[in-house]
Amino acid sequence: MNLMTYARRNIFRRRGRTILTVLGVALTILIFSGMRTVVAAWEAGAEEARADRIASRHKNSIVMLLPKRYVDDVRAVPGVDSATYAVWFGSKDPKKRTEFFAGFAVDHESWFQVMDEFELAPAALEEWKRTPNGAVLGDLLAKTLEVKVGDRVTIQSDIYPGDWEFVVKGIYKPLRKTADRNSFIFRWDFLNNDPRGDVMRDQIGWVLSRIKDPTQSAAISKQIDTMFDQRDDQTLTQSERAFQLGWLGMFSSLLKAFDIVTLIILLVMALILANTIAMAVRERTHEYGVLRAIGFQPGHIVGFVLGEALLVGALGGLVGIVFTVLLINGVIGPAVEDGMGAWFPYFRAPFKVIAMAFGAATLAGVLAGAYPAWQASRRKVTDALRRID
Amino acid sequence: MVPIQYNLRSLWVRKVTTIATAAGVALVVFVFGAALMLSAGVQKAMSISGREDTAIVLRDGSEAELPSSFSADLVNIIRDRPEVKQGDGDGAVGEVVLVLTVDVTDGSGISNVMLRGVPPESYRFRPEVKIVSGRMPTPGTNEAIVGKAIVGRFVGVAEGKQFDVRNNRPLKVVGTFSAGGSSYESEVWTDVGVLRDSLGRPSVVSSARVRLNNKNDLQAFRTSLEADKRLGVDVLRETDYYEKQSEQTAGFLQGMGTMFAVLLSFAAMIFASITMNGAVANRTREIGTLRALGFSKLAILTSFLLEAIFLALVGGAVGTALVMVMGLFTFSTMNFQTFSEIVITFTATPEIVFNALFFSLIMGLIGGLAPAIRASRVSPIEAMRA
Amino acid sequence: MAPEDKNDGKNDGKNDGKNGNGSIVTLSGITKTFYRGKEPIPVLEGLDLDVPTGSFEALMGPSGSGKSTLLNIIAGLDRPTKGTVKVAGSDLTHMSDGELAKWRSQTIGFVFQSFNLIPVLTAAQNVELPLLLTGLSSAERKKRVATALRVVNLEDRMDHFPRQMSGGQEQRVAIARAIVNDPKIIVADEPTGDLDRKSADDVLHLMEQLNKEFGKTIFMVTHDPAAAERASVQRKLDKGTLV
Repeated sequence: MNLMTYARRNIFRRRGRTILTVLGVALTILIFSGMRTVVAAWEAGAEEARADRIASRHKNSIVMLLPKRYVDDVRAVPGVDSATYAVWFGSKDPKKRTEFFAGFAVDHESWFQVMDEFELAPAALEEWKRTPNGAVLGDLLAKTLEVKVGDRVTIQSDIYPGDWEFVVKGIYKPLRKTADRNSFIFRWDFLNNDPRGDVMRDQIGWVLSRIKDPTQSAAISKQIDTMFDQRDDQTLTQSERAFQLGWLGMFSSLLKAFDIVTLIILLVMALILANTIAMAVRERTHEYGVLRAIGFQPGHIVGFVLGEALLVGALGGLVGIVFTVLLINGVIGPAVEDGMGAWFPYFRAPFKVIAMAFGAATLAGVLAGAYPAWQASRRKVTDALRRID
Repeated sequence: MVPIQYNLRSLWVRKVTTIATAAGVALVVFVFGAALMLSAGVQKAMSISGREDTAIVLRDGSEAELPSSFSADLVNIIRDRPEVKQGDGDGAVGEVVLVLTVDVTDGSGISNVMLRGVPPESYRFRPEVKIVSGRMPTPGTNEAIVGKAIVGRFVGVAEGKQFDVRNNRPLKVVGTFSAGGSSYESEVWTDVGVLRDSLGRPSVVSSARVRLNNKNDLQAFRTSLEADKRLGVDVLRETDYYEKQSEQTAGFLQGMGTMFAVLLSFAAMIFASITMNGAVANRTREIGTLRALGFSKLAILTSFLLEAIFLALVGGAVGTALVMVMGLFTFSTMNFQTFSEIVITFTATPEIVFNALFFSLIMGLIGGLAPAIRASRVSPIEAMRA
Repeated sequence: MAPEDKNDGKNDGKNDGKNGNGSIVTLSGITKTFYRGKEPIPVLEGLDLDVPTGSFEALMGPSGSGKSTLLNIIAGLDRPTKGTVKVAGSDLTHMSDGELAKWRSQTIGFVFQSFNLIPVLTAAQNVELPLLLTGLSSAERKKRVATALRVVNLEDRMDHFPRQMSGGQEQRVAIARAIVNDPKIIVADEPTGDLDRKSADDVLHLMEQLNKEFGKTIFMVTHDPAAAERASVQRKLDKGTLV
C-alpha cells in the first residue's frame, strides 16, 4: 500500500456522488469537444489547404469579375505550373428552392488538372470535355439531387435568371478527407455563350494556379498582383490557405464567441469538481485530523485531497473522451458530413481536441482541489478532531 | 407544509456549495440568454429596416439584393403603377448594391462592407436617414457617407478618408449617417450613377424599393408585376424581406447557442443533483425529525424540491443580470445571406428574461427531483439514530 | 516517503527519551486560555505535572475540566498559552507545527474513544499507516504490521475492513496502529468510552500488558472507574488544576 491507495479508495466512499460527478464532468467534456470540433472542422479547410496552390480574385470585391484573358497572363508567369479559372453560379434545386449548393462554371480543360484532390474516371472526364452542357457533380450532391451519370438535371441560380439544363457526365469523389463533395461543376463556355450570361461575358471570378515550388508562393503571388496593378481590375493573389483563412476572418467574432463559451464550459466543469471535492473534504475533516495527529504533515493532507481530485477529474475526462469518440465521431460526425457537407465536409474530433479535453479535465481537477486542499491542511488539528462527521 | 425559512436557512448555512451550484446555473443561463439576445438583436436590426407599406423588387430567383440585377428602365415602369405613391419621383427608387473588400482597422484581416449606390430620391424615400456628422454627399460626385455602426472599423472608411471601389476610382467619405438603428447603419452610401460608372456596368439596378399608397395594395402590386414574365421580377413586402434576410443568421445564432445551453443545462442539473443529494444525506436526522413531528412525505418532497428550485432561480437571476450587461456590447459578424458584415446589439426583451428564468427553474426542478424523492423516503426512525 | 530521518525506534544517543530526571513528561506552569470572540476562557491554570517513565497514568475529572486539553498538550497536538512542555527528552514549547507532526509520529501512539480507523483501509493497512511516514521498505513494514497485530491478537483479521469488526476488535486494531512505530508514550483519550464491558476489559488488559511487559508509558484520560483502577497512578483534574 502507499499513500495513493487512500486517495484512490476515497473516491468510492460515496459511489453515487462520484458517479454523478464523473458524469457531469464527462458531459462538459463532450460539449467542449463538440465546440472545438466545430471550430477545427471550420478551420480544417484552411489547415488542409494546399501549399502549392494560389488563388487570384478581384482585389476590390468578391462579386467583381476579372477579364478572362488574365488567366493567360498568369499561365505565362514563371513558376506557375498550371492555372484554371471559375465563375460562381450560386445554385439551387428548382424542386427545393430553399436549398443552396455551390455551382461553378469552370475551364473544362484544366479544372481537374489543377484541382487534383478529386477522383474522376478518365472516361467521364473525356465525355464531359466533349459535351458543352455537361456537368460533373460531387458524390454527396448527386445523392441529394438523386441523379446519376447520364441523367438530365435542371438547376437555377440566384444570379442568372431562368432554368439551366445540364447532362450529368461524371461524379467525382474526394481523395482527401476535407475535400468538397457537394459542388456542381459545368463548363464556363456554356455560360458565356448563353445570352443570359451577359453580366459575366468574357469574365471570370478567380484564377487558381498550381505553382512548382511552394516556398515561392508569396513571391509569385506578389508578382501576379504587380502584373495587374495598373489595370482597371486589380487582383489579390494569396495562397489557398490565406484565401481560406480570409473567409474565416469574417467570422472572427463568432469564433471568439466560441472561445468564450469554451471557457464557460471549463468553468462549469471546474465548479462541479470543486463542489464535490469540497463536500468530500468537509466530511473527512475529522479523519484528516486523526491522520495529522498520528504524524501526517499538512502537505500530506494536500496530497490526499489533490490526488483524489485529480483522479476524479481524470476519470471524468476518460468517460468524456469515450462519449466524444462514440457520439461525435460515431454518430454526429457522419450526420453532419452528410447533411451539412458544404460547410463541413469533415467533422470528426481531431486527436488534438481529445488530448486537450483530457488535459482540461485533469487540470480542472487539480485546480478544483487546490483551495479545499489548502483549507484542510490549514485547519488546527484539535479543531479537526473535535468535529464529528 | 414545511416552512420555507427552513430551506432558506439550510441554503445559507452551506454557503460554499450553494454559491458554487448557483454559479453553475448562472453560467448556463448566461450562455442561453446571450444566444437569445444576439438572435433578437439580429432580428431587431433587420426588422427596423423594413416598412409595411414598402415593397422591394428583385430579379426573379434572387433571394437578396447582392446577386440580383435588372434593367434600370424597369424602375420607371414600376413607378407608373397605380398602387405606387405618386409625386416628386420618389415613389420608387432603384439602387445598386455591392460588397467591397476592405481591411479591418484592428489588423485582424479583411472583411466585406456593403456599398449602396443611391439616387438623390433615396434620401427623401428614407426620412429616417440623418446626417450625424459631416455633410450629405453631393449628387453626381464620388462623395460617400458611412453608417454610424461601422465608423472606424475599416481602413479608409471614415470621414475625411477615402477608399477604392476599383483601381483609380476612389470614394471620398464626407459624413456619417444614422438610420434609426436599422441595418443601413452598417452600410456606405454613394451616388448610384457614379458607382455604375466606376464598375463599368451598364444601366442596371440591384433592387427597386417601392412605396405603396396603402400596405394592403401589396398583393395587387405583386400580382401585376410578377404576372408579366418579360419583367422577370419578384416582389416582397420590405418587412418580410428583412425577416428572411436575418432568418439564417438569427436562426444559426439562436440554434447553436440554445443547443449548447441545453446540453450544458444537463451538466447543471447533474450539479444540482449532487448538491441536493449531499444536503439530504447531511440532514437525514433533521428530515427524520420532521417526519416524526408529523410532516408528510409530500411535504418533505415539496420542501426539498422548492429548495432546489430556489437555488437554481438564484443562479438564474445572476445569470440573467450578467447577460443584461451584454446589452452594452455590440457584436459584428458576417450575415450569410447578404455576405456583408452586420453589427448587432445584444437586445434584451422581457420575453428573454422570462425564458432565462424559466430555464433555470426547469434545471432546478429536474435536478432536484431525485434528491427530493430520496428525502421524502427518509423514515421517522432516523430522528432517533445516533 | 522522506527517508532522511530513519525512525528505527532507537535513540540516537543525544535524546535518551527521558527528561533527565526519570520523568518522561515534565510540565511547568502550564496555562491554557481559549477565546470565544474576545472573551477569554481559562481552561488550565498554572499546572505542573511529572510523569515517570514506565508509568500507567489515569486522569479523571468532570466534563469541561480540561482533561482533553491537557492530553493534547502532552501529545504535542496543542500548545499552552504559558509554561514549558518537555516530553520524552524534547522541548515541545517552541517546535513548529511541522516539527511537532514529525515528533508525534516517532514518539506518540494515539488511542481514541471512537477508534478512528480509516474505513476504506483494511486492518493491516490501517496499522501500516504510521509506517508510511518512515523510510522503511515495504517488506519491513509488513513485518512490523504482523508483529503489532499479533500483540493485539488479531492477526487473522488482517484483511478485514473496520465495518466487518466489532467495536472491541476495532479498538484493538487501533492499539496495534498506536504501537507499530514503537512509540515512547501511548496517549489514550477515553479508550473504553464506546465499548461494552467485556470488550472494555479486553482492551484494558491489553494496555496493562503493554505497560508491564513492554514498558510503555501510558497516559489515559477516562470516565470509567474500572479503567482508572488498572492504572498505577490516578489523578484528578478539577477546574484547571490537578488535585
